[in-house]
Amino acid sequence: MEIQLHPLVAMKLVLIPLLAAAVLFGQAVFGQGGQPADDTQEQATDLNVNSRYTVESVDLSNQHHYRLSTSILDEMHRLIGARLNDDAVKRLAGKIRGELRAHEVTFKLLRGGNPNSVKVLFEVETAQSNFDLSIPKFAYNSREGGTGVGQATARIGENAFSFAGLSDGDSLVERSTGIQAKYERLSLGSDRVSMGFEFDAYHEQYAGGTLSALASGVDASSLGAGAYRSRMNFEPSATFVLAAPLTLTIGFSFEQLQPQLSAAPSESANALINTLRYHQRWIDSDDTNQELDAGYNLRAATRSLGSDLAYTRHAVNVRYALMHDHQTIEFALVAGLIFGRAPLFERFVLGDDTTLRGWDKYDIDPLGGNRMVHGSVTYGYRIVRVFYDTGAVWDQGTTPEIRHSVGVGVSSGLGLFQKGAVLLAVAFPIRQGRAEPVFIAGMNF
Amino acid sequence: MQALLCLELLGLNASSEDLFVRRFADQIRVLAPRLHFLTGKSLERLKDGATVPFDFQLSIAAGFKNNFIGRPAVERFTVSYDVWEEKFRVVRLRDIRKSAAGLSAVAAESWCLENLLVPAAGLPADKELWARLDVRTVEPKELVSATADSGISIPALIQLLSRPPRPQQDHWTLESAAFHLADLKQ
Repeated sequence: MEIQLHPLVAMKLVLIPLLAAAVLFGQAVFGQGGQPADDTQEQATDLNVNSRYTVESVDLSNQHHYRLSTSILDEMHRLIGARLNDDAVKRLAGKIRGELRAHEVTFKLLRGGNPNSVKVLFEVETAQSNFDLSIPKFAYNSREGGTGVGQATARIGENAFSFAGLSDGDSLVERSTGIQAKYERLSLGSDRVSMGFEFDAYHEQYAGGTLSALASGVDASSLGAGAYRSRMNFEPSATFVLAAPLTLTIGFSFEQLQPQLSAAPSESANALINTLRYHQRWIDSDDTNQELDAGYNLRAATRSLGSDLAYTRHAVNVRYALMHDHQTIEFALVAGLIFGRAPLFERFVLGDDTTLRGWDKYDIDPLGGNRMVHGSVTYGYRIVRVFYDTGAVWDQGTTPEIRHSVGVGVSSGLGLFQKGAVLLAVAFPIRQGRAEPVFIAGMNF
Repeated sequence: MQALLCLELLGLNASSEDLFVRRFADQIRVLAPRLHFLTGKSLERLKDGATVPFDFQLSIAAGFKNNFIGRPAVERFTVSYDVWEEKFRVVRLRDIRKSAAGLSAVAAESWCLENLLVPAAGLPADKELWARLDVRTVEPKELVSATADSGISIPALIQLLSRPPRPQQDHWTLESAAFHLADLKQ
């Protein structure tokens, strides 16, 4: 669906339903966090002798193991600076339990830094066995179509099994349709070490632009393999908590690429993989939350691992978010470079549902690039979001072209989707002469 | 305490020497110097800053041991522990204004018993009497079911205490020796 409108008309058409949605969703979302009636609050606080103390901080033990929704974090935040409300703390423990599907969530009061203050620490006891169905990613882009991942997870003691079916037309040059199966041993002698085995199998489809570019021989010097019809991956790995919340994952990825011509021999891309990740969240007492997520990923395919293709791929990502009252500002930066001849699935793409939103990734580069840098700023007030993306993807030896886009939308955790943001947005690529709005809808991307 | 728990596990009642009956004006109350319910998991939860409710029931039997007469005295006491002062506070839930703070564990236990009263009027003066005390921790589900708008529903509490305790529920049962109303110490 491609629409061509005058920018002002398009803006009006977009803003009116978005504001209506903001009013509608705003009531649903922010009404939930309301305080209890005065009489019950009075009664509950009287029961606990510690209700005379002020809450200095609220934390979750082993916080790096869990991901909590914004609404829960906001509720944790609201406790800080107020007198301890036993009833509110118990209710929050119940909500955390429900969201994390934990066996039990209890809380502990610790003495604060001042004589009249206490620290609240929630402790999560995970269920010995549970089963979960989820949609880790769902997105629709009016230019590139839909992307969806459905996942089933079973956990038995310290063993986690997951199986996912997906059709991803968003994050790579090609559309990958297939399965992902993973086993994880969550604790290997110590909570600081875990290990996993993953098996993936995909069927690949290509846009016409990509096939034409491959046929023309563009980028041939940096491309490690042509189009392949299927891809299989086996990936054993181990994760170490170096110093919480800093983790290091080390492993191998054995990829087998089946060329489109069945007579041609398959090619392998066997790589050593490393991921260093840091994720920290701070909840301050003055209505301010901060979150930092940073990672560095290295994939080094080498002939010593029996790989037909040899290359090294580096990627870094940093995301920082600051939330104050109902306002949010988020900065995100991703960058990457590839040395050697990497296959299509390793190449960098911009113009998807999270980068250069509004641009068509095939217009930017139908084969992706081996150099990429991208930055994004998002400002939010309640559930309304305004964003600006800028970045470039290019091949070594060529001149990068910086592109920009802006967009507006609504985003919030709602109902079943509490864990991730639901985003409805319209994005406009900034280029001279015309405005071509692209509609984006999705969750958890 | 361990001896009491062992008796409970064996399905036996505690020794009659563990529960003493006293008369206080026109009320009857009990003393249980060897009963310590602020222990174990409950004490751990209290020291973590949680509130822990306990249900109490004091019943009087006349003529023979299991012939309980009249309406038993039932109360729910909610105990909390001051993480700074390291002292206990007890609130009688039926009348939320009645509370005591700055107590040691033993004093908090005694305060509960001091506020568990059976009217002496209506008890037969010519018959042998026995007192029986039941104490149990409150299950989270029961916490909701017995709580009415006014704070606590006595009929609901009586109904809860009439059921046998659940296996995971801490509970204590004590019985007094036989006594006559006229012989009670004031």
